[in-house]
Amino acid sequence: MQYGSFTWYDLVLLGQGLSVSVLVFLATSAIGLVLGIAWATVRFYRIPVLMQLVTLVAETLKNSPVLVQLFLVFFGLPVLAQINVTPVQAAVITLSGNTAAFIYVIAVSAIESVGRDQIEAARVFGLSRWQTLRRVVSPQATAFAIGPLIGLAVNQLQVTSLVSVIGVVDLTKIGNILNLRTLEPFIVWTAVGVLYYLCAKLIARLGGKLEARLRVHSDWKGL
Amino acid sequence: MIKIEGVRKVFNGVTVLDHIDLKVEKGEVVSILGSSGSGKSTLLRCINGLEKLDGGSISVDGFDVARPKELAEARKRSATVFQLFNLYPHMTAVQNLMLAPVEVLKVPKAKAEADARALLASVGLSERADAYPAQLSGGQRQRVGIARALAVNPSYLLLDEVTSALDPEMTAEVLRILARLADEGTTMVFVTHEVEFARTISSRVVFLEKGRLLVDLPTTEFFADDGGLANPRVRQFLSNMSKG
Ligand SMILES: Nc1ncnc2c1ncn2[C@@H]1O[C@H](COP(=O)(O)OP(=O)(O)O)[C@@H](O)[C@H]1O
Ligand SMILES: [Mg+2]
Repeated sequence: MQYGSFTWYDLVLLGQGLSVSVLVFLATSAIGLVLGIAWATVRFYRIPVLMQLVTLVAETLKNSPVLVQLFLVFFGLPVLAQINVTPVQAAVITLSGNTAAFIYVIAVSAIESVGRDQIEAARVFGLSRWQTLRRVVSPQATAFAIGPLIGLAVNQLQVTSLVSVIGVVDLTKIGNILNLRTLEPFIVWTAVGVLYYLCAKLIARLGGKLEARLRVHSDWKGL
Repeated sequence: MIKIEGVRKVFNGVTVLDHIDLKVEKGEVVSILGSSGSGKSTLLRCINGLEKLDGGSISVDGFDVARPKELAEARKRSATVFQLFNLYPHMTAVQNLMLAPVEVLKVPKAKAEADARALLASVGLSERADAYPAQLSGGQRQRVGIARALAVNPSYLLLDEVTSALDPEMTAEVLRILARLADEGTTMVFVTHEVEFARTISSRVVFLEKGRLLVDLPTTEFFADDGGLANPRVRQFLSNMSKG
């Protein structure tokens, strides 16, 4: 390994690492959102068997370390199912599932926050379960869930740093590489930390804007 | 016609409705009286399909509420006004009225909105049409509740103690509207504690006790000494009511 001080090129490296982290975050958040909402919908419809299965999966994912899940997918899947997964694939699979589990929990409690009485009103007026979910439950559940979802997003961004362990060249991995080369841990890790921090702040800021926008449409809460 | 035949409902081993037989023809206003816990709400919830029957049958214009396919048709023919309004809090008054016409009856949005505004005006709420439920008083909310029920053009209006959450002034607002609807020939199944009002608007009065239908008489007979009042349970109930 060749030692040396910082060059301008290192900023490009950091930028590349950052973009990998952000992409992993965005992809797994999107997949997790779709999965988590789908799981919560299964529960809303009270589909037997599937509903119990979803609860079991979500509970397992939520209550075990992400790093262990990551190892299980990356090292375990090839052994168990003879499927070779790349580090990026393993990262996306694991973090999507993990995010989905937390989104499921948030979505379920958001759905439960919507009063039974209105759901009964909608059903009595002849709305189907789907129409009730779409027109009555989800607008209120979304307003309820947005705060916790933003909190989750900020957290899941930090969690992406774990994927560096299996060799995904994300921001943390770049930090590792630069650290070994420059032997300037304080500078390197400060720079990496600041980048994560700025991203987290950006997510919180955008989320806050979204929340405020929903709040404008939430005059109905009488707040 | 709403036809209730031999209906039984059991909650956790307790029989809440016991062999109820009741028919409501178009044009009738049938008041249901009975003390708290006698099963009045449960009976309405059986008619609109919110509770499964443990025996007997209910049909609305011939559509059996126990069959999912027919329940949809039955529900199109009746509309419920709830004790605690059960409005959709994230929708304005006018949106509350439009939801079922647009989603279920497939009325075009523009027509549904025009109809909704006209209905809100008819219950004295033209100025509050774009307010959210949280911005309305209890009496106004219940008037929205009534207008929402009327918006689906129901053959039968089911009302469950629609004034019991309201103060006397608001109660009067709401009762005035119901009296007008009765005058116009709206068919109603009217669960209430407002005995005097029931007496003025109903064509028939039904008395429930502990899940049994004890008395079912035309209004004047119900309140006659040799009619409904001959039943000691009814007399006791009415005297408790008038004591407040
Ligand atoms: N969902 C339920 N689960 C268990 N018991 C119930 C339920 N709904 C009503 N009951 C019981 O059924 C009886 C009749 O209730 P209800 O129909 O609400 O009476 P009313 O409307 O005449 O006051 C009461 O004893 C009540 O406790
Ligand atoms: Mg009741």
